[in-house]
Amino acid sequence: MNAIEVHNISKSYGKVKALDDVSFTVGKGEVFGLIGPDGSGKTTMFRILCSLLCPEAGSATVDGFDVVRKMREVRCRVGYMPGRFSLYQDLTVEENLKFFATLFGTTVEEGYDSIKAIYSQIERFKDRKAGALSGGMKQKLALSCALVHQPSVLFLDEPTTGVDPVSRKELWAMLGSLKERDITIVASTPYLDEVRCCERVAFLDRGKVRGIDTPDRILSEFADIFNPPGIEHESAGKVENENVIEVEHLVKAFGSFHAVDDISFSVKKGEIFGFLGANGAGKTTAMHMLTGLNQPTAGTGRVAGYDIRTQYEQIKKHIGYMSQKFSLYEDLTVAENIRLFAGIYGMSDAEIARKTNELLEQLQFTEHKNTLVKSLPLGWKQKLAFSVSIFHEPGVVFLDEPTGGVDPATRRQFWELIYAAAARGITVFVTTHYMDEAEYCDRISIMVDGKIKAMGTPDALKKEFNQPDMDHVFTHLARQATRSGD
Amino acid sequence: MTLKYLIQKEFLQIKRNAFLPKLIVMFPIVIMCVIPWVMQMEVKNIVVDVVDNDRSTGSQQLVHSIEASNYFIFNGQKTTYKEALNEIERGKADVVLVIPQDFAKNVAKGLTPQVLIAANAVNGTKGAIGSAYLSQIVMANALPSTAAIQSRVSTLMLYNKHQNYKLFMIPALLAIVMMLMTGFLPTLNIVGEKEAGTIEQMNVTPVSKWAFILSKLIPYWLIALFVVTVCLLLAKLIYGISPAGPVWLVFLLAMLLALFFSSFGLIISNYSDTMQQAIFVMWFFVVCLMLLSGLFTPTRSMPHWAYLTTYVNPMHYFIDAIRTVFIRGGGFHEIAHQVWALLGIGLIMAAWAVQSYKKNS
Repeated sequence: MNAIEVHNISKSYGKVKALDDVSFTVGKGEVFGLIGPDGSGKTTMFRILCSLLCPEAGSATVDGFDVVRKMREVRCRVGYMPGRFSLYQDLTVEENLKFFATLFGTTVEEGYDSIKAIYSQIERFKDRKAGALSGGMKQKLALSCALVHQPSVLFLDEPTTGVDPVSRKELWAMLGSLKERDITIVASTPYLDEVRCCERVAFLDRGKVRGIDTPDRILSEFADIFNPPGIEHESAGKVENENVIEVEHLVKAFGSFHAVDDISFSVKKGEIFGFLGANGAGKTTAMHMLTGLNQPTAGTGRVAGYDIRTQYEQIKKHIGYMSQKFSLYEDLTVAENIRLFAGIYGMSDAEIARKTNELLEQLQFTEHKNTLVKSLPLGWKQKLAFSVSIFHEPGVVFLDEPTGGVDPATRRQFWELIYAAAARGITVFVTTHYMDEAEYCDRISIMVDGKIKAMGTPDALKKEFNQPDMDHVFTHLARQATRSGD
Repeated sequence: MTLKYLIQKEFLQIKRNAFLPKLIVMFPIVIMCVIPWVMQMEVKNIVVDVVDNDRSTGSQQLVHSIEASNYFIFNGQKTTYKEALNEIERGKADVVLVIPQDFAKNVAKGLTPQVLIAANAVNGTKGAIGSAYLSQIVMANALPSTAAIQSRVSTLMLYNKHQNYKLFMIPALLAIVMMLMTGFLPTLNIVGEKEAGTIEQMNVTPVSKWAFILSKLIPYWLIALFVVTVCLLLAKLIYGISPAGPVWLVFLLAMLLALFFSSFGLIISNYSDTMQQAIFVMWFFVVCLMLLSGLFTPTRSMPHWAYLTTYVNPMHYFIDAIRTVFIRGGGFHEIAHQVWALLGIGLIMAAWAVQSYKKNS
């Protein structure tokens, strides 16, 4: 018997067809991937299979039960981990687990065997609030909560967005161990290495199934989307010998905890500098100090020629910033967002109007000038947010995980914009969890436990640590972390 | 100059909000059309049960004068006190009047007969005022001579001659409108930006603290001015009530109160991380400020320690001053003391608000 059968499912929101005549089956104990660009209908599919949404046409069964008529039975057999962190931030690890166990009419003791392998890794933090856990540990807890009632099918909707490569590998190792217990897994992910962990994948695009096959075949068949050709980057000669960012012995302590622990580095003008590190390694804290949002506890730093301790308001005039949480004001239109931020940086009305048209033409986005930002797809929001952050021609732009949750083709387009900015002489300081993006940088540093453990060009690092690619370099270094994801 | 772009943004966001513009228009209309009719301290429609043990012409007269009164609803005669008390227990009557045997005879003899008035004092005001009214009627009937004396004591109600509660309440309603428009809206707006993460983006721009804060306040001050104007117009149109004193003083007081409430709201938003926290803290303080302000109850009858808090309660100064202007027709001179106090408290809070907003921590 198939664990999941989907027959001709359709669902639309207003005029938008989220799912259009989708059919597939998943065998018992299979690890099945749902992949596709942002807005292709993956989350809608998950919600229908969990009986949270009713399809307009077609039928689906989970573990032999119809998702419309046998809602109760389906819900008892299904574990669901939605994309965004779904736990109660104010409850402790143990309280969260107990709560979810109670919801399903079971107890932690009863379900302990099924979650032991995963939960034992975080059990020593059981009195800590879930909100204080690192990204990787949150995922482990969320997985424990989804498994505590011993479901036979597990749905994971982009479980690893914003999680560092090491934690992602651990999570997929755990999913592999669930297979031995005959639990069926359906997961969606934007990461190619995770796609390859699935036995079969369905490629969804604008609500339609474009293909169902083994990962390798799908990835090669749709190589233009999943495996875009690398970008040629010929900036080596362009980097000037002038430091835009200089940091020496920078420390940021919260009480006795040193989030950033004595780091020193410098970034040259026009350089693309990748600032890597596992979740909780201190990247965002360091970036906040460089952008004048936070004061360092000790050490010195200069950005664009200004001191980060005393002249932080001066720094703000000469930098651009795109935070991981931010993608513009959602209730303003594209043009209004540009106008607001340009106005803040002191540009005149005429200049703003001229540059807005130029930018939108360049992005081929003119017809969306008066579209509200909230109705744009995520990839477009990110491109627009980046363009807005460099609209006033800053000397340096800081990007904090700018491409979370989008497909490889969209990320590649984003990097073309970054290269164009670098070619204009704008220094780019970027953090990312995508190791293919790390290869795009001129130079990278890898932070572990608040300290910089390695720094250099991607090629030099691969040689130094004798690893085949950046992913292995990162994993090699991040595994040495002792902070255990605080 | 950046202020222009920031204020434009705020107005666009208010306009785009599906709910806020409607609320801003509906709010003064509902407040002015409904609340003045409801907020009355006058007690009317008191339901009376009478137990007449005398059944004489004299006692009948007394019953008739109760029936004739505007304040009472005569619920009928009951045979026993117990039966009448039962009615009170079931909530069907508010007051019981028991007329003793030989009431008329004793009155004629010049003796003072004992009339019993039992009132349900669960609602204290209604019980107290009801029984006071009733005893006045009884007195007038039983001892016409005392009634004559009473008519010679003249009470002169100054300024608000007809004790019109609408005139008394409308200035207070202005205070409530200002509080909600300039206190709550900017607070929730800023905490909303915190939750959405957009404030972080603002903090890395060179926008100055002052420009950012003013861009949050000016739109709501303008809205509040609009709402106050609408309220004053409605008061004139519906109730024929307009301020006895100069109108500019009403606006001056409203703006001073706006200064306080918006600064106060900003302070709360700077220390809160979530909407839930902000609105709860704000609500707590607002209820305290309102109940201790003399809006509903005279401040002089508070216990001394509670009365002391009115010295730092801007709402108290506002209510005092606006009633002086609105009802008594006082000029700037009469309210100078309150104006300076409001200004002082407002400026202290504003300084705190700007100081506690940190672009760099």
